[in-house]
Amino acid sequence: MARYLGDNWIAPILTPRNTPFFTAGEIKIQFCRDCDHAQHPPDDVCYGCQGRNLEFRSCPGTGRVESRAIVHHAIHPALKDKVPYVIAIISIDGAEGCSVQGNVIGCAPEEVRIGQAVNAVFEAVYDSVSEEQILLPQWTPAEAPS
Amino acid sequence: MNGRAVVVGIGESAYYKHGGSPDSEFQLACTAIQNAAKDAGLELRQLDGLVSYMDDRNSPLRVAAALGFDDLKWSATPWAGGGNNSAASIQFADAAVSGGYADYVVAFRALAQGQFHRLGSGSGAAAGRAPEGLTWGVPYGLMTPAHECALQTARWMHDHRVSQDALASISLASYANAQRNPRAVRYGRPLTRDQYHASRWIVEPLHLFDCCQENDGAAAVIVTTPERARDLPGKAVPILTTAQGLGPDIGITAFQQRHFPSMYYENVGRTIWNRSGVGPRDVDVLQLYENFTGPVLMALCELGFCLPEEVDGFVGDGALEGPDARLPFNTSGGNLAEAYIHGLEMVVEAVRQSRGDSTCQVANVELSLAVGGPGYAPGSAVLFGPAES
Repeated sequence: MARYLGDNWIAPILTPRNTPFFTAGEIKIQFCRDCDHAQHPPDDVCYGCQGRNLEFRSCPGTGRVESRAIVHHAIHPALKDKVPYVIAIISIDGAEGCSVQGNVIGCAPEEVRIGQAVNAVFEAVYDSVSEEQILLPQWTPAEAPS
Repeated sequence: MNGRAVVVGIGESAYYKHGGSPDSEFQLACTAIQNAAKDAGLELRQLDGLVSYMDDRNSPLRVAAALGFDDLKWSATPWAGGGNNSAASIQFADAAVSGGYADYVVAFRALAQGQFHRLGSGSGAAAGRAPEGLTWGVPYGLMTPAHECALQTARWMHDHRVSQDALASISLASYANAQRNPRAVRYGRPLTRDQYHASRWIVEPLHLFDCCQENDGAAAVIVTTPERARDLPGKAVPILTTAQGLGPDIGITAFQQRHFPSMYYENVGRTIWNRSGVGPRDVDVLQLYENFTGPVLMALCELGFCLPEEVDGFVGDGALEGPDARLPFNTSGGNLAEAYIHGLEMVVEAVRQSRGDSTCQVANVELSLAVGGPGYAPGSAVLFGPAES
């Protein structure tokens, strides 16, 4: 699907720590195998038990809007015809305490509500530098606005 | 800490709109330090310590060499963030002189956002691809402090039913106080509540007038021991205490805290009040760093000045405006209306209040508090006592 902020908008540089999140085509969050602590962004040490035994686990791909704001002032020339757009913080079902940044797409910015249930969708971006396919997690309302 | 160090000199350059300075950033830095030394009655060669923050360009080597220090014995910069460290810079200076590591330490900050990039212009945006630390937000167009603070503010307003007018009251107070201050960049440019509400959205719920300026200028503060201050001609302002704070379960970004939203000021408040033995109601005058108005309200509540549910009433009806305000606040105009020198100009104003030299002078100041930038960790604050001559 076409990207919310345009197909030429900045894509992530893939690293070992962020590749699962940005390429899996599902919501993958870092967990500790020893204590089951979930954390995002991923890191090299478990913030729950200080262990190093970390792995990425699949989450259901549902979440909740913790906050949202509508960007009116374009900070970059490539976004001038994209404003107003909505930015959001989404808490991830199945990964307690973890939230991700994203956009809520498929509805008007002003229709996005705090507390709203959302489902993950994925925007395809081909990264010509790494020659990898990025599947950028995004969010869409679980129920169409009434 | 607790009265073992004093401020003996304050200095500033002129303040300009970003890009408006005829001087380079390094010239501005030197001007502020020269003015602070003159204010203290010190020779430049006597200065032997330097502290700044988020300031790689004006290195201690360059400053000490250009200004002819005899012997630089202390240089330090607090980690992480930016304006959250404005008060921490005073803590580092205090630590150096209280510990006997240096005699006269300068905390300074210089910014020429015309000569260099503007802080609000979006990290990494020019690169085309986002390195790991920025990948979590930039691909979503979530990339500036305004965006981050808008998300924190929106949730907090929602949870506590805080009105847009409460945000306006912060901006109006800073603008009203700047009208008394000829140094202020927004001097002669008063703001009305109607103008505030009519101004364009930057990122909803933040209007244009909720956002700090971007400026060119520099400010400096000289710290020494009370013993050395007795040999100097001017007033000495005691540093009663300082604090940095983070708190538990903070996560690695502002959005990952297990108690989102938060400005990192609960622990700073607790530490300042515990160390000083006073509380928020005892503060005579407050300088609270405005990056954006929403975070100011949140930090006010986290520091214990009021509850979130009371904030509309606490800041409304001009409660923060002028020297006779219920809580005299950002009396020089702050980052919003005096100048954005990364909050160090507000530390300078806190010292002026203790000396009795403000253009919006509060009567009988015993306790003058300066608080660093909210929303970026660790937060910091410094509490000054009344000047001793």
